[in-house]
Amino acid sequence: MALSLEIRGVEAGYGAVRALHGVSLDIRDTETVALLGTNGNGKSTLMKCVMGMVRPTQGSIVLGLDGAQHDLTRLSTEQIVNLGVALVPEGRRLFPKLTVQENLLLGAFRPLARGAIAKNLAFCYEAFPVLQERRRQLAGSMSGGQQQMLAIARALMSAPRLLLVDEPSVGLAPILVSSTVSKIKELKERYGLTVLMAEQNFHQAIRIADRGYIIVHGEIVFDGRSVAELEQNDLVKRYYLGT
Amino acid sequence: MFSADLFANAVVSGLLLGGFYAAVAIGLAIVFGQLDIVNIAHPAFIIAGSYTAYIFNSTFGFDPVLVGVAAMPVFFAVGVAIYRIYYAAFERTGQESLSGLAFFFGLMFIIEVSLILVYGVDYRLVSAGYATGALSIGFVDLPGRMLVPFLVALALTGLIWLYLSRTFMGRAIQAVAQDRGALQLMGADPIRIKQWAFGIGIATAAVAGALLIIIGPVEPSVGRQYIGRAFAIVVLGGMGSIQGMLIAALLLGVVENMVATFYGPSWAPAVSFGILLLTLAFRPAGLFGR
Ligand SMILES: Nc1ncnc2c1ncn2[C@@H]1O[C@H](COP(=O)(O)OP(=O)(O)OP(=O)(O)O)[C@@H](O)[C@H]1O
Ligand SMILES: [Mg+2]
Repeated sequence: MALSLEIRGVEAGYGAVRALHGVSLDIRDTETVALLGTNGNGKSTLMKCVMGMVRPTQGSIVLGLDGAQHDLTRLSTEQIVNLGVALVPEGRRLFPKLTVQENLLLGAFRPLARGAIAKNLAFCYEAFPVLQERRRQLAGSMSGGQQQMLAIARALMSAPRLLLVDEPSVGLAPILVSSTVSKIKELKERYGLTVLMAEQNFHQAIRIADRGYIIVHGEIVFDGRSVAELEQNDLVKRYYLGT
Repeated sequence: MFSADLFANAVVSGLLLGGFYAAVAIGLAIVFGQLDIVNIAHPAFIIAGSYTAYIFNSTFGFDPVLVGVAAMPVFFAVGVAIYRIYYAAFERTGQESLSGLAFFFGLMFIIEVSLILVYGVDYRLVSAGYATGALSIGFVDLPGRMLVPFLVALALTGLIWLYLSRTFMGRAIQAVAQDRGALQLMGADPIRIKQWAFGIGIATAAVAGALLIIIGPVEPSVGRQYIGRAFAIVVLGGMGSIQGMLIAALLLGVVENMVATFYGPSWAPAVSFGILLLTLAFRPAGLFGR
């Protein structure tokens, strides 16, 4: 039962806009890896490339799964999800006119997740009791924090093995940021997940990350092999720690 | 003049009519209400359903409702094929609003003209034992030709509601127009979901058509009378809400029947447009819009 994600020399963009320039990174089984960068540096674009939502013009993205190698640049988003990769997308992308519970059940659309639906639903409600209280409420009428919890829970309903989280802290009150990030760690441990988390909130990200990459203008400028290395980095000191 | 039993009969036969309207509108509640596809050819498919029932009824003596149900898979397959064409020609390139409308308009003409070429413009009807009888409860009459379509329409509506709310495919159908990218992230292929939903929408026309020809004789262009009604019901019902659609259909049936009883039948067709305009003006989300 091993998982790995190997991204090599990925170039991608939107029409004439180039957003990623030769990005390479690795994720190993059960790690939590942070992708750190400020606005517009390409974090979401990289996540979309992994999910098959943006096609790289060059480079490879290979998911190793129990000995088999899958080239994600050739698969559709549906196929990638069916391999056990889930994304909590930027902007949450809930189905606003469906109820909380309907959103969660849609998370379990992929055939492999349907068998475990009762167990996963119970677990999501246990992890986020507010979702159970509000299971009949329309997702679009929930607060920002509740929507973020729902987006995370919905991704978990697909029983993923690799979870990508795009800026979980965005739009949340400071007190919620910390609890949401802690929750991701808790869920990760409970499910034995491997996590790639894009963040610009450095302090929050390193609370749960094992290591991280810094992305600037679509290039990985620093590969921090530990939290300590990240904290010592000049770029980090300049941009995030204000020293 | 106004009397209690005239009033009660008008309400009851309005409800029976409204139930039938639910069968007419339910396909559009899916295709227009949930997929945002303006299929104005839907009533033409219903007429095709009527002729299917007519052909098998007059040739083999089969029961029209059974023919309608048995024809559903064929209508489903036709619906899937039509969505494929619609998708490849218009939706994929983002031209669905105007060209798509023209496409369905053309489809409506093709169906109508084909039926006219083969069967002429004569009215056709079916024979079924229950269509001539009537049930009387007190001073209220329940004619079989209205009661059976009403019951079948309720059953159809109930089944579609269950399907949409209780199955994975049904929930995906409800979600696909809200955020198709997010649906892909759930592992569902939006195109497949839409073609499946479109197929179901057209399949309901097989049953609705059988009900229509049980209620009364049908000729190829009567479908046009149902375009305004069906869209009015879907909008009033809150675009895609099945319960809302059913209540809107019953309401329209009762109001139309009241108007016909107390003001004269020539006013009845104007009712749906009146309701449509009032809804759009005062409650654009419909009575039961989410
Ligand atoms: N749909 C799009 N069309 C054109 N350009 C885009 C699109 N999405 C992103 N970009 C551009 O690509 C670059 C990288 O954007 P991306 O969204 O990946 O950054 P990000 O690191 O996720 O930023 P943020 O923290 O603001 O979410 C930016 O310059 C952005 O303007
Ligand atoms: Mg982003």
